[in-house]
Amino acid sequence: MARSSDQTSHAAEIVLEARNVTLTLGVADAPVEILKGIDLSITKGESVAILGPSGSGKSSMMALLTGLEKPTSGEIVVSGTPIANMDEDGLARARRGTIGIILQAFHLLPTMTAMENVMVPLELDSGDAIRDRAQDALEKVGLGHRLGHYPAQLSGGEQQRVAIARAIVGQPDILFADEPTGNLDGETGSEIIDILFERHRHSAATLVIITHDRSLAERCGRIITMGDGRIVEDTGIREDIAEPAAGQDAA
Amino acid sequence: MSWSQIWAIARRDLNGRFRGLRLLFICLFLGVATLATIGSLTSSITSEISERGQEILGGDIEIALSQRAATEQERAAFAEVGTVSETNRMRAMARRVADGPDPSRVLVELKGVDAVYPHYGDLTFAGGGTLDTPLDAQSVLVAPALLERLQMKVGDTVQFGTAQFTITAEILEEPDRIGEGFTLGPVALVSLEGLERTGLVQPGSLYETKYRIKTSAGANPAELAEALEAQFPVAGWEVKDREEGAPGTTRFIERLGQFLGLVGLTALIVAGIGVGNGVSSYLSGKRSSIATFKVLGAETGDIARIYLLQLAAVAALAIITGLILGAMMPPLIIAALGDVLPVQPGISIHPVPLLTAALYGILIAIIFALPPLAQARYVPAAGLFRDMVERNARIDRLTLILVSIAFGAIVTLAMVTAREPWFSAGFLGASLGVLFLLALLGGAIRWIASRLPRPRQPLVRLAVAGLHRPGAQTGALVVALGLGLTLFVILAAIQTSLTGEITRSVPERAPSLFAIDIPVDQEKQLRASIAEIDPDAEVATVPTMRGSITGYGDIRVADLEELPEGAWMLRGDRALTYSANVPEGSELVEGQWWPLLYNGPPQVSIDAEMAQILGLEIGDTLTVSFLGREITATITSLRQINWQSLGFNYLMVFSPNTLRDAPHNLAASVSLSDAGNVEQEQQASNAILGLFPSATVIAVSEVIGEVRTLLDQMATAITAAAAITILSGLAVLIGAIAASRQARTYDSVILKTLGATRRQILLVQAMEYGLLALLLAAVALALGYAASWYVMTQIFQFSFEPDWTIVLMTLGGGALLTLVVGLVGALPVLSAKPAQALRHL
Repeated sequence: MARSSDQTSHAAEIVLEARNVTLTLGVADAPVEILKGIDLSITKGESVAILGPSGSGKSSMMALLTGLEKPTSGEIVVSGTPIANMDEDGLARARRGTIGIILQAFHLLPTMTAMENVMVPLELDSGDAIRDRAQDALEKVGLGHRLGHYPAQLSGGEQQRVAIARAIVGQPDILFADEPTGNLDGETGSEIIDILFERHRHSAATLVIITHDRSLAERCGRIITMGDGRIVEDTGIREDIAEPAAGQDAA
Repeated sequence: MSWSQIWAIARRDLNGRFRGLRLLFICLFLGVATLATIGSLTSSITSEISERGQEILGGDIEIALSQRAATEQERAAFAEVGTVSETNRMRAMARRVADGPDPSRVLVELKGVDAVYPHYGDLTFAGGGTLDTPLDAQSVLVAPALLERLQMKVGDTVQFGTAQFTITAEILEEPDRIGEGFTLGPVALVSLEGLERTGLVQPGSLYETKYRIKTSAGANPAELAEALEAQFPVAGWEVKDREEGAPGTTRFIERLGQFLGLVGLTALIVAGIGVGNGVSSYLSGKRSSIATFKVLGAETGDIARIYLLQLAAVAALAIITGLILGAMMPPLIIAALGDVLPVQPGISIHPVPLLTAALYGILIAIIFALPPLAQARYVPAAGLFRDMVERNARIDRLTLILVSIAFGAIVTLAMVTAREPWFSAGFLGASLGVLFLLALLGGAIRWIASRLPRPRQPLVRLAVAGLHRPGAQTGALVVALGLGLTLFVILAAIQTSLTGEITRSVPERAPSLFAIDIPVDQEKQLRASIAEIDPDAEVATVPTMRGSITGYGDIRVADLEELPEGAWMLRGDRALTYSANVPEGSELVEGQWWPLLYNGPPQVSIDAEMAQILGLEIGDTLTVSFLGREITATITSLRQINWQSLGFNYLMVFSPNTLRDAPHNLAASVSLSDAGNVEQEQQASNAILGLFPSATVIAVSEVIGEVRTLLDQMATAITAAAAITILSGLAVLIGAIAASRQARTYDSVILKTLGATRRQILLVQAMEYGLLALLLAAVALALGYAASWYVMTQIFQFSFEPDWTIVLMTLGGGALLTLVVGLVGALPVLSAKPAQALRHL
């Protein structure tokens, strides 16, 4: 998938689109409708919060938008490429360099150091200057002094910062964060959020945060509220609240 | 992604988590080391025997004759082929010549040798030095055991027959010792002239002359031997060339090696279950990592390659370590076993058995590790968001094909490398059958447990649920436990059956002594002298001579490319006798016994089993070579021989008129009324030897001692092989318990938070394992019974009468042991602190 080459463009270029997406899980005799027809489009450089209580379907929506899960019906288009009918390997390839994901439970590889964890996506994409780029990403999240540490030797906040470094090291077009502060205390959580928004300000990338925390959602330029598998409210882009325009001093 | 990048990730991912693949390592290591050890040991022994073929045989060609020396014509023919060395061997009594009344006597293998002996190798002395000048007629060289038993030393005088000899040296090594085959007593070496002086070599006495020929360099001994045989077709020789110096020993070692190798392969297959289990629990522990890799953009192919490299690296390490140990073990075993082995091979590496063991290891790893690997790569990225209850169980076509090829390769390899391919195939088939049966049983137990009505008692309900819940290790537990318990039953049954065999084969009124070479006309004197010592003693005599079968039916034995299966009676010479009546200990099963004063053409009665093996029927003919001439007799009856009677059991009994006039002696058995009275036994022995200096007396207790040693060695070999299999089973068992630990820890923590005590939790485990152990003990009893019956009656041809008390006790002990292992394995689960565990779960 082609990466956006025009990072300074302010045109409302759609990077993520969902068309009438549904998701039904479970066995045939007891199906559970998780998502019941989602329509959504997100443009380049936006910061979007997907807000909702537990069970509203927001995490499932992220799984679909990131290609981690296939929708039961509907179409999802990422940077102009429909992904709903891709097989798992196609999706994996599609994610490389396009989508970065940060998870609530960090999901660092426990057997690898911070540095090695960050190197993995570059290695999977057969990139070059892997070490330098990984180190650079870790320094950007303030972990330049923890390169050789294993996840178990890092605090929760540090682990999440490694996860952020790992998600941004490939300079993805879209960065997803699923309850990024869910496993952290308040102070550490806000540090993490600061890093995310700081990062967003300095790149042309789109930021999508999944959260149940309204105050966190309020920091985003757009809030999509979910309930019972549907979008119940979409504020659209709130120019006044939105973070400074993306790309002004892109990395 | 390039392989080097994949390797970099694989290495990092494995970093520090080698523990997870411990089971893979241990199981493969154990299995490969066992196979490599057995293979290397067998190879080093047989190759040593074959390398030392000339030495062992004592020449390039050996011609053995029974009860006669070669004729002038024969000697001339031998001399044309090469240099000839003559030896003459017989059983005789060595008597200490000393002051005082104690006439100690010991049974020896007395061997007369000529000046040329030995053609190859050296006869070495205990004090240093070798036999380099010919022995004179007054000297004897003796084995250390003889000095020990007669309490003599070099320089003392010893008597054989009617002649006295001075012991001039103690033998350290007799080069052609193995070629001589089974011996009862220590060896004593004299010159041929010396042997002549003893007066023991008489027409009819039981001796064997051997002519060893040293051919010129470049000659083909096999061809020359064949030509000689063709020249004298009826001579009744036993001819060997240097390629088969000790065919019996080689056959035995190879057969034992093959049997142990198959047991080793079974251990490896059992270990394979551990491999599969270890890999699958390792990979399921990696589900989150796999999902994370996928989130970061890894394809299924990348995942497969990452973990394939990890598994291959650990497997390679295990196999290489196993091979190193396997190559190092034989010298240690050889040193430990010492004289039990026929030869003492030096340190050498045998690539073929090592390669075979490595190949087996690789194939087993493919069969058991590939399927879980194939499944693991399909772990979806979405696995990070929710627990996948429905696990992906699909295995792709390529994996299926690879596994099938590997399986086929194992069977082919086992058959190609075996002496008896069908025996190997049968053994493998039976082992796999047992494993399959146990696997089936594991499935059945899960199925039944899941459909049982829910017990009211919550702990019982949990125990039953533990057998069938998702991720339960019931299958592996059943296979490991079932196999272990089955082996316990087999071992106990075989051991007690073998022990019983010895006790049973000594009938209540067994003969105490056997005497051979009693002159035919002095039977009365023998009976009288025994009656003086013990009036109630029973004395039985039977005429004895030796001859070899040269033809049967329309077949000439010399023309056979290969002997029919089980036809050991065609090899070498056999004891022959004649009798007017059906001999005691035999039962006529077919045909007619000859009339009392029969005087027609030669008739013979043979063993019914021998008839079956050779395909002979009443009316067919049997030709034996006896004292250099051939006698062809018509088979007129078949007998069932009760071998356990320890009486005189002859395969071939002729009508008296056939053999009566040939020179021969009697063999006698003496049954004393007070069996076990050593003093009386000694008296009787001395009386016989006093009357007949040329006779040889064998005490049954000594022979039984030898047999007991042999059976003990067999039992040890079986136990050793089975122990390895049990060890593999134990590794699988521990692996299975470890694999289910996480789920159990979760259970136990939840139970604790709900107020369960540790005792109650332990009780759940005990009930679960106890239930399994009880069920499997019953299954093991049935399987073990069948298998040990087969081994005892079909492979070793012994009777099967195990001591059931001991078998059941062993089984109970085994079941208890597994229960304890299971509970000890559960202890870490018990000590899990709820708060701590819940944080990590």
